[in-house]
Amino acid sequence: MKQLLYEVKKCLGCRSCEVACALAHSLSGDLYKALDEEKLSMPRKKVLACGGKNYPVSCRHCEDALCVDACMAGALVFDKQKGQVLHDAERCVGCWMCVMVCPYGAIRPDIKDKMPLRCDKCKDKDEPACVKACPTRAVIEQEKAEVKK
Amino acid sequence: MKQFVIIGNSAAGIAAAEAIRKADKQSAITIISDEDYPAYCRCLISYYLAGQVLVDKILYRPENFYKENNITLLLNKKVERVDPKKNRLVCVDKAQIPFDALLVATGSSPKFPEVKGIKKENVFGLRTIKNATEIAERLPMTKTACVLGGGLVGLKAAYALSKRNIDTKVIVKSKQVLSQMLDFAAAGFVQRRLVEHGVELVLGQDAVEIIGEGEIKAVKLDSGKAIGCELVVVGKGVKPNIELVKDTGIKINEGIIANNLLQTSIPNIYTAGDVCESFDITVQAPSINALWPVAVEQGRAAGVNIAGGNIIYDGSLGMNALEFFGLAVVSLGMYKVPDKDPSYEELVLDNPKEETYKKIVLKNNVIVGVILVKKISNSGVFLSLMRKKADVSVFKNSLLDDNFGYPAIKDLMPDKERIYV
Ligand SMILES: Cc1cc2nc3c(=O)[nH]c(=O)nc-3n(C[C@H](O)[C@H](O)[C@H](O)COP(=O)(O)OP(=O)(O)OC[C@H]3O[C@@H](n4cnc5c(N)ncnc54)[C@H](O)[C@@H]3O)c2cc1C
Repeated sequence: MKQLLYEVKKCLGCRSCEVACALAHSLSGDLYKALDEEKLSMPRKKVLACGGKNYPVSCRHCEDALCVDACMAGALVFDKQKGQVLHDAERCVGCWMCVMVCPYGAIRPDIKDKMPLRCDKCKDKDEPACVKACPTRAVIEQEKAEVKK
Repeated sequence: MKQFVIIGNSAAGIAAAEAIRKADKQSAITIISDEDYPAYCRCLISYYLAGQVLVDKILYRPENFYKENNITLLLNKKVERVDPKKNRLVCVDKAQIPFDALLVATGSSPKFPEVKGIKKENVFGLRTIKNATEIAERLPMTKTACVLGGGLVGLKAAYALSKRNIDTKVIVKSKQVLSQMLDFAAAGFVQRRLVEHGVELVLGQDAVEIIGEGEIKAVKLDSGKAIGCELVVVGKGVKPNIELVKDTGIKINEGIIANNLLQTSIPNIYTAGDVCESFDITVQAPSINALWPVAVEQGRAAGVNIAGGNIIYDGSLGMNALEFFGLAVVSLGMYKVPDKDPSYEELVLDNPKEETYKKIVLKNNVIVGVILVKKISNSGVFLSLMRKKADVSVFKNSLLDDNFGYPAIKDLMPDKERIYV
């Protein structure tokens, strides 16, 4: 089961990961076309500066996720096999309970579409777009077990 | 093999059943409900009434949930009385159900004010899917409706009715809507949205009578004015369903009193959810927070403890998120300073032009309450500071900044940070 880590020392705060994320979740996947799409794709990631360092913030796919407990529409589940919190957009009513409880502030409310946006680890792609896009390799994808040592 | 019985097939009951099953594959689990529906998302019945959620999307768990977890589900069965001396339940249909451990998760019911005519046909509460269906069935014959109460359920009902093109007026005793979760300023944002979308608000007035012979004709107000309508929905708060434990030796106050293991005064009987009076961590007093996430949290803890575990539940806090016609609002804990008490401090950012409002209430540099309008992303960060009673003096000045976020608080969190290496 893979997990995203951030080597904070290396992060320049250039936001390439944000752009890549928005692009990866756009309809066309192409930068110029994406800017013309009726609904501008939004990043699931946000880089926040704090104490002179930069911290990319996005969904951590917690196993005992508070958002899953709080979801009053039964639209969130933690999938053990995938190691991921899955969001069922069809069931979601956009009540913002998940946003309200996420201790990382990592869920972005798309107010227009009444849809919470969160990292989906770039589902079917071999590697998340943010990992690919980071010029300093500050975004790392690693097996979870390796982290614990 | 033990016999675990859960009264209540909703947020708390299901969370408890899942927690018991996780720890104990053998014992028998029975869930009892006086409704005739498998567990569903109660908070979604207004969306269902609005026609925005279909009935198959309202189920809280997949159809095979009970079978897969080897749970016996008894629907349409009302428990009349808990008998702690004989460790059994007595049902209205006279059936007796024995238990080794019991969870009372019976939730709550709408409070109906003592107003003349309140028992008339076409006066509805909005609590069950049955209520929602009954209201929906009346809509083809309805042009105008009155909602009594400007709380969350009242406003959700009004929202649903107006989505169904019913001319809807909300009668609110207080001078603002949502007085249990928002201050006057924040409520103003919600009110403007509602009014813009055709929901009429009658503030500062109370209903005194529902007029009409047979069919409803109007609601009479304390001002003497009458508002014509054919349907009334009551959203005047809820009361815990405690009748079945009255005079049984199980201690009750407003709800069933629970200790920090979610046990009642009888050790093998537990309670969770809207019926459970536990502890409020911001108010620092026993209290009921009748909320879905709280019911899940308490149900889980009770379930773990019933199965022999030992979860200490340190309490809940009032919190809610809401969405009306595209406006997002979050309220956490003590959303206003109690009676100008000087030991509290308020940080406020009010920007009516951008329709944003942020307020943080502090006591001794600990956040005890938050209101966020529109920019709600950081709400969970504030919530975890509140839960941990963290001293925020070091970053107090940046709490309201749009760039404030988890990185600023990470060193205050007890768990070791594993993501930022
Ligand atoms: C329209 C609406 C909107 C809401 N919106 C929100 C929201 O936005 N956010 C939020 O946090 N909360 C919201 N709530 C509140 C939320 O639904 C409750 O807090 C939650 O359902 C409580 O769960 P519970 O398991 O304690 O009890 P309930 O959901 O009330 O379930 C009680 C169960 O007990 C059973 N029962 C009761 N008495 C008996 C008996 N004598 N015998 C047998 N069975 C019995 C019932 O059949 C039912 O299965 C809303 C509620 C409504 C109605």
